[in-house]
Amino acid sequence: MMVSREYRNILGLNRRNQEYIRPYNSPSAKNIADNKVLTKKILARENIKTPEIYKLIKNKQQLKFLDWDSLPKSFVIKPNKGTGGNGILVFYGKRKGETAWIRSNGQAMSKRDIVLHIENILEGRFSMSSKSDIAIIEERIKTDSLLKQYSYKGVPDIRIICFNNVPIMGMIRLPTKRSNGTANLHSGAICTGIDIATGITTYSMHMSPKSLMSDIYEEIDSTIDLRENKKLSGIQIPEWDEILKIALICQRASKLGYVGVDIALDREKGPVVFELNARPGLGIQVANRTGLRWRLEKVKGLEVKSIKHGIRVAKNLFGGEIEESIEAISGRKVVNIQERILLFHNTEDEKKKPKTEVCTAFMDTGILTSRIVKSWANRIGYLSTVEFFDSLNVPKSFKSFKEAQEYIDNNLKRLTLDSNVKRIAKVIEGEEITIRPVIEIKIKISGEIKNIETIIVTDSIYPVVLGKNDLKGYLIDTSKTFK
Amino acid sequence: MDYSSFTLWILENGVSRQILELLVAITLLATIVSVSRYILGSKTYGIYAPIILAIAYSYTGLRYGLAITVIVIFTTLFSYSFLRKIRMHYITRIAINYCLLSVVLVLVFLIINRYGFGLDNMANIPPLAVISIAALSDFFITSYVRKRVKTSLMTLAATIFVSTIGWFVITRDVISSYIINNLWIVPLLILTNLLVGQFKGLRVKDLARFTTIVSQKDNDGK
Repeated sequence: MMVSREYRNILGLNRRNQEYIRPYNSPSAKNIADNKVLTKKILARENIKTPEIYKLIKNKQQLKFLDWDSLPKSFVIKPNKGTGGNGILVFYGKRKGETAWIRSNGQAMSKRDIVLHIENILEGRFSMSSKSDIAIIEERIKTDSLLKQYSYKGVPDIRIICFNNVPIMGMIRLPTKRSNGTANLHSGAICTGIDIATGITTYSMHMSPKSLMSDIYEEIDSTIDLRENKKLSGIQIPEWDEILKIALICQRASKLGYVGVDIALDREKGPVVFELNARPGLGIQVANRTGLRWRLEKVKGLEVKSIKHGIRVAKNLFGGEIEESIEAISGRKVVNIQERILLFHNTEDEKKKPKTEVCTAFMDTGILTSRIVKSWANRIGYLSTVEFFDSLNVPKSFKSFKEAQEYIDNNLKRLTLDSNVKRIAKVIEGEEITIRPVIEIKIKISGEIKNIETIIVTDSIYPVVLGKNDLKGYLIDTSKTFK
Repeated sequence: MDYSSFTLWILENGVSRQILELLVAITLLATIVSVSRYILGSKTYGIYAPIILAIAYSYTGLRYGLAITVIVIFTTLFSYSFLRKIRMHYITRIAINYCLLSVVLVLVFLIINRYGFGLDNMANIPPLAVISIAALSDFFITSYVRKRVKTSLMTLAATIFVSTIGWFVITRDVISSYIINNLWIVPLLILTNLLVGQFKGLRVKDLARFTTIVSQKDNDGK
């Protein structure tokens, strides 16, 4: 049987255990990662946010005297030394007039059943090596609004594998209906690779529900069981650099040489560390469609001076290969938030090669129609149109959009006498409602020539601002990584 | 049977042939489990369960052993699925499961005694072998509590698969006689385990697991 050479780049369980976990993760460091309370304490010293602990229940006596009324409506119960997400209960609210709390599936769980669950935690039913454990009642993370769109009920978490103070690989795990709102890949959550340089999502996989063998993945393009399924590639993970920084601080604090840091994005708190994993799984390679082994070997023995240095090393070493295929995988072109574009002169002679002007355009998804500033419209041959419109004695401002629309309706013929004026748009300029002419101009952006409708505005920092109508099919790179 | 001088010396100095055979079988079985874990990637319920199961099968015969295994697992699956809905402590739940399992096994023995089902010799199976197989229930529940049913069943299937290989190896007279007479194989097995313990390559299961990455890269290269 021919085994592909590509397998050489992949990290298997045997090598992970022998070359990375055993030599680089000391028993005391592993103890920190395996103990959630200890992890929280150590990370608090570094000012790293973790979910706030409401109650710690160490024995049945404490459970007996637990003040249930002091608990907030939503909270999480988890074993201190649990593994693989076992024994975790998430409550989203309290049932009115009852001592029962509502779970992600909408079912209520009575206090009696919760007590039994906590007793099972205390007996060590969910903990490593089945030893007696502590039950943690902690804050429920409220998912960031961007990531919430891609997950079914639960909290998506971002895993960063760090080695030798360098973030090696990242992925985001998105809860699905099949995973019952948990971010556990074995239960059916989606794993999506993240380009380490940009924080943009790349490929997505999930464990095939049909496969008999566990750990066999199937590629997917979009979310699978949401009301409106969304494309998974090309999502810019918010606060990416901060996430990488936090992952490296966690590694330094825990003294784990090889670690998987699980971070969630809270709507109010920002990045919050869920847990540290001293034996992170290898599915991250499938999500990123590349092996961990070559990446780990590249940074082995490197002298990394600081956290910033570690991030720089990662971006330089591992950022290049995915960015080239971002356009291919997402089917969209990447443009910077400020992109140099070509403006074609307005010419009536079609045989003559039109003159062009280079300018900086700003990508603004907050507006619909693109805009061009008056001086640049004049410059590319729309001087007569601008002069014509200025001569119309249009009121400088309107009290409301309704009033502006009425004015347009009553004067449409007069306002659009110039052949270049396609229509009249209502815009807010300098906090005033006004009406402006819309013209069609020809531009070249990211190698593509296109005709776009633009509103001639009197004032703008940028010569051209491209709005939503003309940004379909583009990914906006806010970090200027690609160019 | 002719023994080598070393084997003969052992047998004449307080070690019975049965004990020696069993102990040698354990070395073989342990090696089979470690090879299947680290080379094949087959995850079993630890090392103890497949060894005990293989030895139990060697006493019951594979057909009877597998039949009891199936009964044990189905009973456990059904009883635990039912018991988990009742509010009680974990150990009491396991205890009830064992009670039910004992009742079911007695019933099965009675039914087989009456109808046969091709398992006519069931009554002559050594009781300790039956109990050893019944202990699988505990391993299964421990896994079932922590993981999903599918994962637990996959681990169970792997355990039975490895045990069956083990049963096959230790019940071949040629193999057991050869090892009994060539006890130098035991240090060889230790050496094999040392080598397997150093193995850093991909497990066979890993090859399947990461095939999507490799096939994609290979396609990119074309």
